[in-house]
Amino acid sequence: MHTLPTSVYVHVPFCQHRCGYCDFTLIAGRDDLVPRYLAGLAKELPPSHGVILKTLFLGGGTPTHPQPAELAQLFELLRSRFAWNLTTEVTVEANPLDLNESRLEVLKNAGVNRLSLGVQAFDDQSLVILERNHAANDLAGIIHRSQGVIPNVSVDLIFGVPGQTLPQWQESLARAVEMGVTHLSTYGLTFEHGTAFWNRLSRGELSRTPEDLEREMYAFAMEWLPAQGYMQYEISSFARPGYQCQHNHVYWSGDPYLAYGPGASRYVDGRRETNIRSVLGWLDRMEQGESPVAERETLDARARGHELLYVGLRRCAGVERYDFQQRTGIALDDLVGPALAKLVQQGLLVDDGKRVSLTMEGRFLADMVASELL
Amino acid sequence: MFDQRFVRNFSIIAHIDHGKSTLADQLLLKSGTIDQRDYREQLLDDLDVERERGITVKARAVALSYSHHGQAYELNLIDTPGHVDFHYEVSRSLAACEGALLLVDAFQGVQAQTVANAYAAINGNLEIIPVINKIDLPVTRIPEVMEEIESVVGLPTDDCLKVSAKAGLGIDTVFQAIIDRIPAPSGKPDAPLACLVFDSKYDHYRGVITYIRVVEGVVRKGQKIYFMKAGSSHEILEIGQFKPDMVPTDELGPGQVGYIITGIKVLGNVHVGDTVTDFHKRCSVPLPGYEVPQQMVFCGMYPLDATDFEKLRDELARMVLNDASFSFAPDTSDALGFGFRCGFLGMLHMEIIQQRLEKEADVDLIQTAPNVTYQVLVRGGGEVQIDNPHQVPDSGSIEEFREPIARVNFILPTERIGPIMQLCSDRRGVYITTEYLGQNRAQLFYDLPLAEIVFDLYDKLKSITQGYGTMNYDITGYRAADLVKMDILVKGEKVDALASIVHRSQAERRGRALVRRLKEQISRHQFEIPIQAAIGARVIARETISAMRKDVTAKCYGGDISRKRKLLEKQKEGKKRMKQFGAVEIPQKAFLAVLDTGSDD
Ligand SMILES: Nc1nc2c(ncn2[C@@H]2O[C@H](COP(=O)(O)OP(=O)(O)OP(=O)(O)O)[C@@H](O)[C@H]2O)c(=O)[nH]1
Ligand code: SF4
Ligand SMILES: [Mg+2]
Repeated sequence: MHTLPTSVYVHVPFCQHRCGYCDFTLIAGRDDLVPRYLAGLAKELPPSHGVILKTLFLGGGTPTHPQPAELAQLFELLRSRFAWNLTTEVTVEANPLDLNESRLEVLKNAGVNRLSLGVQAFDDQSLVILERNHAANDLAGIIHRSQGVIPNVSVDLIFGVPGQTLPQWQESLARAVEMGVTHLSTYGLTFEHGTAFWNRLSRGELSRTPEDLEREMYAFAMEWLPAQGYMQYEISSFARPGYQCQHNHVYWSGDPYLAYGPGASRYVDGRRETNIRSVLGWLDRMEQGESPVAERETLDARARGHELLYVGLRRCAGVERYDFQQRTGIALDDLVGPALAKLVQQGLLVDDGKRVSLTMEGRFLADMVASELL
Repeated sequence: MFDQRFVRNFSIIAHIDHGKSTLADQLLLKSGTIDQRDYREQLLDDLDVERERGITVKARAVALSYSHHGQAYELNLIDTPGHVDFHYEVSRSLAACEGALLLVDAFQGVQAQTVANAYAAINGNLEIIPVINKIDLPVTRIPEVMEEIESVVGLPTDDCLKVSAKAGLGIDTVFQAIIDRIPAPSGKPDAPLACLVFDSKYDHYRGVITYIRVVEGVVRKGQKIYFMKAGSSHEILEIGQFKPDMVPTDELGPGQVGYIITGIKVLGNVHVGDTVTDFHKRCSVPLPGYEVPQQMVFCGMYPLDATDFEKLRDELARMVLNDASFSFAPDTSDALGFGFRCGFLGMLHMEIIQQRLEKEADVDLIQTAPNVTYQVLVRGGGEVQIDNPHQVPDSGSIEEFREPIARVNFILPTERIGPIMQLCSDRRGVYITTEYLGQNRAQLFYDLPLAEIVFDLYDKLKSITQGYGTMNYDITGYRAADLVKMDILVKGEKVDALASIVHRSQAERRGRALVRRLKEQISRHQFEIPIQAAIGARVIARETISAMRKDVTAKCYGGDISRKRKLLEKQKEGKKRMKQFGAVEIPQKAFLAVLDTGSDD
C-alpha cells in the first residue's frame, strides 16, 4: 500500500561563513544566490501535497541566514505546496545572532513552533575555535528573546572541542539547563575529511581531545542531564517530557520522509535518494529542468534491516523484534543473530527477548556496534 | 604426421622484460598462425596475473606453420618466463626443445637471468641463437652487448641476430636461423612411443589436459596409452596442437608438441616429467624427466572460513597440476585452525599463486608470513627440517641450527658496488669475488643466507642501482648460524602463526619493529592489548594497544542515512579477513607484518 510521507525536510544551504569543522552542504558568503535558490526550490517542490504534515524541518546551512523578506518568501512557497497546522512539529535550525525581532516574527507567523539553536558552547574559548560568530555573553539574551516568541527552544552543544576542559563543558550544559531549554543535542566534535579542521589537524595545528576526556564529557551529559529532568532518548538527544524531536524519530524508526534542496536525502517507498551535494550544481540542474538526484538506491529487505538496526539502535528504546520484522520482513535474529549474541556478551547490548538496545557502555561505542551488525 | 625433417623445436629465453613474449607475437603474426585481427600484445600471456603485471609466469607452447621456399615447416615455440622465481619453467621447456633463442636487450645487455638461462640451455646441449632485441631503442649499446655475450655467456656472436620484436625488424632472419641452425628432432616414428609430459592443466569441462612433446614413435587419437610414473592407462579422447588455441589433429609424430585429453578427472594422476608410452608396446626406459624443483619459501594458507578447508584443498590440487613447482601439505595452527603449508620458488611465485587462488578459486585466505626452510640438529642425534617456525624444538634440545645459503651473483654498474657490498655485509653475507664486464659493469659474487635474499633483496638492489642491477642465486647448502625462534604474544598468549625465526644479533631490532607494526595493524578493542616479542621466556619488545573508549560519531544530519551507512560499510570492509584469536581480532595484514620489519630499526 502506498502512503504519502508526512514528514518533510528542506535544506537551506546558506551560511555567513563556513565553520572550520563543518562539512555540510552549504555555500558561504553567497547571499546573492538566495533568489535563485527560492526559484529552484519552487521547481523541485511538488505542486501540492494534500496531506497535513506531521513534521516539517528546515535544516542547513543556516535557514535563518537569508533576509527576513526572503525567509517570508520561503515560507510562502512552502505554504503553497504543503499543509501544516498546530499539530505539526515545525522546526527551524537557527544561528543565534540571526534571531532578531523581525526574523522571529516571520518564523512565528509561519507557524514555526520549534527552534533548534546552533549554540555549540557557552564559553568564548570554544566558540572562537569553532569559528562561531556569537559570543558567550550574547546567548542568554538571544535565548530568552526567542523563547518569548517561540517557547520550544532546543540547543546544540559540542564537546571535545580542542582545548575544551571538562568544567567548561559542564558549565555549558548547566547554562543551557538554567535557561530552561526544552531539548538538548550534544555532539562530539569530529574531524571530517576536507574541512579546515582536518587540514589543521594534519598540519599539527589542532589536536584531538584525548579520548578519555571526550568519554568523560559524554558520560557526564548522560548522567547529569537526566537528573535535571532531561531524559536521554537517543545517542545525542536529551529532552524534557513531551519535547522529543518528532522529526528525528521519523529517521530513526525507518519511516518515509520527503526532502528538498541541495544535498537533501529522502526515503520514499523503500528507496533512498540523495540530491546533488553541490549548491551550484543543484541550482544548475533545477534551472536546466533536470533531476537533482545524484544517488539513488533501493533497499532490499536485508539492507533495510541493517539500516534500521543502525538508526534504530541510536534510540535508547532500541529495536523491537516485532516491529523490526513488520518493517523489514526479516526476523532480527535471522539477520544478525550471532553478532547480537556476541555484542550482548561483550556488554554492549541488552536483549530482553523482545527488544534490543545499547547498554551505557554500548552508547560510547555505538559505531563499533553498528559496524558489527552490518 | 608431419615430416620430422621439417619440424623445429625451440624456446625463447632471456632476462625478464627483454622481449620474449613480444618476439613470440611477431613469430605468430609473420608466420600467419594468427592474423592481424586476433593480434594483441603479448598474446601468449593470457593469465589474468600475466596481463595485469605485464610479465610471463607460465611457459606457453605454440605450433607455428611456416612456409619457407615452398616448404612447409612446423615450428614449435615455447615462450618462457624471465623472472628468477620461474627458472624452473625455463628448464622444463628446454627439455622439450633442440634449440633456444637467447634474447638480449640492446641497451640493458647481459643480465643475471640471461646468464642463468643461457647456462641452462648450454647444459641441455641445445643450439643457442643469440638475438639482440630492441634495436629500435633510441639508445643502444650493440657492440658492447655483443662483447658481453661473448665474455660473460661465452657464446660466439658472429651470427648474432639483431632485431626489434616490437617494430617487427629482422624477424625474417629469425625464421631463417631457426630453420638453418636448429637441428630437426631425431626420434624414430616406428620406435615405441615415448612422450615427455612437460605441463598440464585442469579444465572444468574436459578434465586434465596433458601437454606433451613426442620424443619417439607416433601418438594417435584413440590409442591406449600408459603413464609410466603414475602407472595408469587411458585412452586418448582428443589429441591436438596449440595454434595458439587447441586445435585437434589425428596424430603427432617425433618432435611434435601438443596436448592429449584422456578424460582424467582425478587430480594427482598426471605428473609433469612423466613419460607417456603405448599401453601394449611400451618403451623400455622412461625419459629422464625433471628434477623436482626446490621450494625456497614456505607460508601457511588458511581458509578464513573453516568450512572452506576442503574447497581450498581441491583448489590447491588444481593449482599444483598447472604449476608443478608449487607444493602444499596440510598443517594446523592454534591460531588459525586447519590449513596448508605451501612451498614456493620465491616471493613473486607466492604472490602469484595467492592471487590466482583468490581469483580463480574464490576462497578468502589468511596467509602467514613466509619463511625459508631451516635444519635443526637435535641433541643426541637426528636432523629435522623446519619449514614452519612452530616446529622449532625448544632451545635446550638444539645442537645446531642451520640455515640455507645461496651463492648470489649480481650484475651491476661498477659505481654501485660499494653500497651493494655494504648491504650484503649488513645481511651477513660472505664476499666471494668480483669480475669486471667491460668498463662500467661488474659481476659480484656473494654467499648470503637465503632468508636475507628472498624477501626483499631484489627490491633493495633495484633501488640502490636505480633499476640497473640484476641478480640470480642458487642454493649451495646449509650453514650453522645463531638462530632463534621469536614468539609473539598478544594479550599474554602466544600466537603461533606470528612466530618467526631470526638471527640472534637481529632479534631485538626485528622484535621492536614487529610489535610496532602489529600495533598499527590490530585495531583497538574495548580492552588494552599488550603485544610482546619474546625469545623463550625473555620478553625483548613490547607495545600496548590502548582500549577503545569512545567511537560514537555525530548526528546523521538531514536524514542522510545512506552516507553514514556507507562509512560504516567501509569500516566493515576493513574488518574482513579478521581472525578471532581469543578476544582479539587480528587482521590478515598483521600476519604479514613480520615481512616488513627487515629494514626497520
Ligand atoms: N622498444 C622496444 N620495446 C620492446 C621490444 N620488444 C619488447 N619490447 C617491450 O619490452 C617490454 C617487455 O616485453 P615482453 O615481451 O613482455 O618481455 P618478456 O621477455 O616476455 O618479459 P617476461 O616474460 O616478463 O620475462 C614490453 O613493454 C615490450 O613492449 C622491442 O623490440 N623494442
Ligand atoms: S553555521 Fe552551521 S552549517 Fe553553517 S558552516 Fe557553521 S556549522 Fe556549518
Ligand atoms: Mg614474457
